[in-house]
Amino acid sequence: MASYYVIILAIGQGAALLLLAPLASGFSRVLRAKIHTRTGPPLLQDYRDIFKLLKRQEIVPKGAGLIFRAMPFILMATLLLIAMSMPVLTLASPLSAVGNMFTFVCLLALVRFFFSLSGVDSGSTFAGLGASRETTMCTLMEPVILLALFVAALLAGSTDLGRISVSFASPSQGLIAAELAVTAAIAFAAFVEMGKVPFDMAEAEQELQEGPLTEYSGPGLALLKWSVRLKQLVMASFLIGVFLPYGAAASPSAATLLWAAVVFLIKLVVVFVVVAVIENSVARNRFFMTSHSTWIGFGVAALALVFYLVGL
Amino acid sequence: MPFTLFSLAITLYVAGALASLMLPERASSRAAGVIGTVAAVVGFAAALPVLLTGEPVVAAADGPFPFAHFVLRLDRLSAFMVLTITLVGAAVAIYGTAYVREEYAGRGAGAMGFLTNLFIASMLLVVVADNALWFIVFFEAMSLTSYFLVVFEQDDEAVRAGWLYFVIAHAGTLLVLIGFLLLYGRTGSFDFASFRGAAVPAPLASIIFLLAFFGFGAKAGMVPLHIWLPRAHPAAPSHVSALLSGVMIKIGIFGIVRVGVDLLGATTVWWGVLVLVFGSASAVLGVIYALAENDIKRLLAYSSVENVGIVLIGMGIGMIGIAANRPVLPVLGFVAGFYHLLNDAVFKSLLFLGAGSVVSRVRSKDMGHMGGLLHVMPWTALAFLIGALGICAVPPFNGFVSEWFTYQSLFRAALHGTSLLRLLAPLSMAMLGIASALAVMAFVKVIGVTFSGAARTAAAASATEVSWPMLSGMGFLAACCITLGVGAPVVAPLMRDVAASLTGHGVAVAAGLDIFPGDASVGLLSTPLMALLLMGLAAVPLVIVGLYARRRPRPYVGAEVWACGYAPDAGMRVSAGGFAEPIKVLFRPLYGVRNWAEDCFTALMPWFAGLPASAGRTELLWDRWLLAPLGDSVEAVSVRMQVLQGGDFRVYCLYIIAALIALLIVAIG
Repeated sequence: MASYYVIILAIGQGAALLLLAPLASGFSRVLRAKIHTRTGPPLLQDYRDIFKLLKRQEIVPKGAGLIFRAMPFILMATLLLIAMSMPVLTLASPLSAVGNMFTFVCLLALVRFFFSLSGVDSGSTFAGLGASRETTMCTLMEPVILLALFVAALLAGSTDLGRISVSFASPSQGLIAAELAVTAAIAFAAFVEMGKVPFDMAEAEQELQEGPLTEYSGPGLALLKWSVRLKQLVMASFLIGVFLPYGAAASPSAATLLWAAVVFLIKLVVVFVVVAVIENSVARNRFFMTSHSTWIGFGVAALALVFYLVGL
Repeated sequence: MPFTLFSLAITLYVAGALASLMLPERASSRAAGVIGTVAAVVGFAAALPVLLTGEPVVAAADGPFPFAHFVLRLDRLSAFMVLTITLVGAAVAIYGTAYVREEYAGRGAGAMGFLTNLFIASMLLVVVADNALWFIVFFEAMSLTSYFLVVFEQDDEAVRAGWLYFVIAHAGTLLVLIGFLLLYGRTGSFDFASFRGAAVPAPLASIIFLLAFFGFGAKAGMVPLHIWLPRAHPAAPSHVSALLSGVMIKIGIFGIVRVGVDLLGATTVWWGVLVLVFGSASAVLGVIYALAENDIKRLLAYSSVENVGIVLIGMGIGMIGIAANRPVLPVLGFVAGFYHLLNDAVFKSLLFLGAGSVVSRVRSKDMGHMGGLLHVMPWTALAFLIGALGICAVPPFNGFVSEWFTYQSLFRAALHGTSLLRLLAPLSMAMLGIASALAVMAFVKVIGVTFSGAARTAAAASATEVSWPMLSGMGFLAACCITLGVGAPVVAPLMRDVAASLTGHGVAVAAGLDIFPGDASVGLLSTPLMALLLMGLAAVPLVIVGLYARRRPRPYVGAEVWACGYAPDAGMRVSAGGFAEPIKVLFRPLYGVRNWAEDCFTALMPWFAGLPASAGRTELLWDRWLLAPLGDSVEAVSVRMQVLQGGDFRVYCLYIIAALIALLIVAIG
């Protein structure tokens, strides 16, 4: 693979995910309305929301500092870097110098650090509580993601996301039970990271007025809404690209990439339908009960480790 | 040549110490700081060539006794430690020139400069000492000087913290001393050189290792011997806290590596397992306790416990790798350990200096009394933010690189390790994961409550930025945080060299702009590329926001926050305690471990509390039987002699004449 080819792939992938993100969330909203048997917003509503917000005046709360102002930019840049570095259409990572499982986890920590800090920085009670919850959720989820990815890396013999993807693309290698458990744990983690209903603790619309987003307005809110949607799409693509990579291009050419894109979109639709069904059929828990369900996730990841150790 | 420079550095430190003591108060803190900075630069220059070339240099002299053979040895390991100490020492000295004058003028600033410089000098001598006896002497000097610095404030809290520190530090020294005596019993010499070659039978080696591990572990502040740390470090003046947390506790880790790996050869697998297990436990418990604190310096002190744990994880993997004779594993483990040791030294001292600046302005260590400092102390806030990003392992800062290596070493251990490791390494990794997530939470809390939002008290609202020497001390360390992160492709091979000096062979860890754990196919990372991409990608949101910039009204700054229609007031804002509450609820059992350990020590302390009293009584005996009779007889003789001094000047003239005659007789005779 020539290096300029990789650069184009990385940039194209980042740009495509960024542009698709509002569409994916619009699709979620349409599905949600369908499940509620109401008309709901049109599919492209989220684009309109974002562009409308871009024209609005920005209102900054009194005590807010630089972190509050800078966060939307940092958030989007970091998520774009994640989007560029993980394998989506190809089995190999377009940016292998960034596409490493530990780097991926630490980049998510970067997102979280500024997202929660801006919540406290805004000086709003709701945003502060949202920040506290966001970081608590991460404490509960980080071991799940890390352990599941760790077992996946052990199965692949490498911590490179591209190589993990390659090993998951060929299930003939054995250890099916471990692979299934890992995929289940990652799917769970991706669902939690998407901030969907039983786990929308930080932005809980009904109780916390969207948490760290409370005080944002105008272009800042536009960027932030876009980034939150991008994060949802990135998590779904991460699950598909690394753990369900059937159909992804092993050796990139125009034809294989086109086919991979079609397969990827179909898988994405399936994932979003499943997510929509789950989020609309469960109720929210009390915040302190969340740890009960996240421990199940950790249990599945630990099970994957056990399966790996005994060679199932 | 290195030793000429090294002795010059030590001489300068001693000169700085004396100058600080002798000079008038106004000049003393500046003299101590300036000489300390120069000494640090000289020490750095002495160690750098050794680290780069790897040639160990030895200087020996006869001591006062045959067994006290005075040997100093600068090998890669000690050169690395010297570099770490001088790096932090320089920043602290620069910071201290202003901080000590502002805070301690008229309260013994001269003594503080004296003790600080001697403290750094004794740390430098500990790491190069190559004779057990001198090692203990310098180790003790380090403990004593730091003890006096801990109790410097002389208030109740400081004295009690200092006493706890004193007892635990000396219990640790005692264990180490017993270990050295056992080795002396085998070899008949106190020289480390003879220890290295000694064939110590396995059971004895294990006993010595355990003594050293717990002895040095108490110094390093690992759980459950960490009790003194969160009390002593906050009690000390802030620039001394930076030295204590940044450097001194690392000497404990250095001691474990020196004895366990360098002297005893890390021959047994379970030694490394022990280090790994204690490291993992310290990492999680340290940060969980940190999170619950509202005192900014105590929080940082607990976070030191966490980072010591992370360093120990790397060292443990390295030791297991040596004992199990795995090819790449030991180098990888030690690279992770040393890299994190250096990083923690840099960002922890930066954070303590930042906390010192904040406390000096707000006059309280309680974060609830701060808030909004970002607006009035922007540069301090920026430096503190960089340190926090480093400690939270946020890419592309320095903590990220060393934690990445730690993760990679754990991965390698799980993939190619022994059967025990295949189970332990993933668990240890999950614990490290929890620890890093909690660290993010803890530092979001610190920055959020201290620097963000609106001021919580009048003192915080009227705070002013600190003076430029303090800012430049912090700025220097902040620059180190960025350099050690983005410059990882240059730094990692140096850490590899230090690791290879212990394991005997090295592996490639960097090529071009990339770093990797021995094998590029296992994992690849390029922090320079990440830094560039992150900065470049920030252009995307800038362009998006620029889309309608001309049609959009200018931002309105200064709105009230939304409080559901009520008038917002300061009491509504999230507090330091409230922010961490979910963790306190979810991890309640883990706080029990701390309470249990504290109870144990509290139960032990009365036993030690009798010590000064009995020491006082012993002192009296000495007085009564030796000094008092002497004093009495001197007094009796003096009374007799009073007869001579009659007060009549004619008698005195007679004395003079008598003396002259007597002298003449002597001269003639």
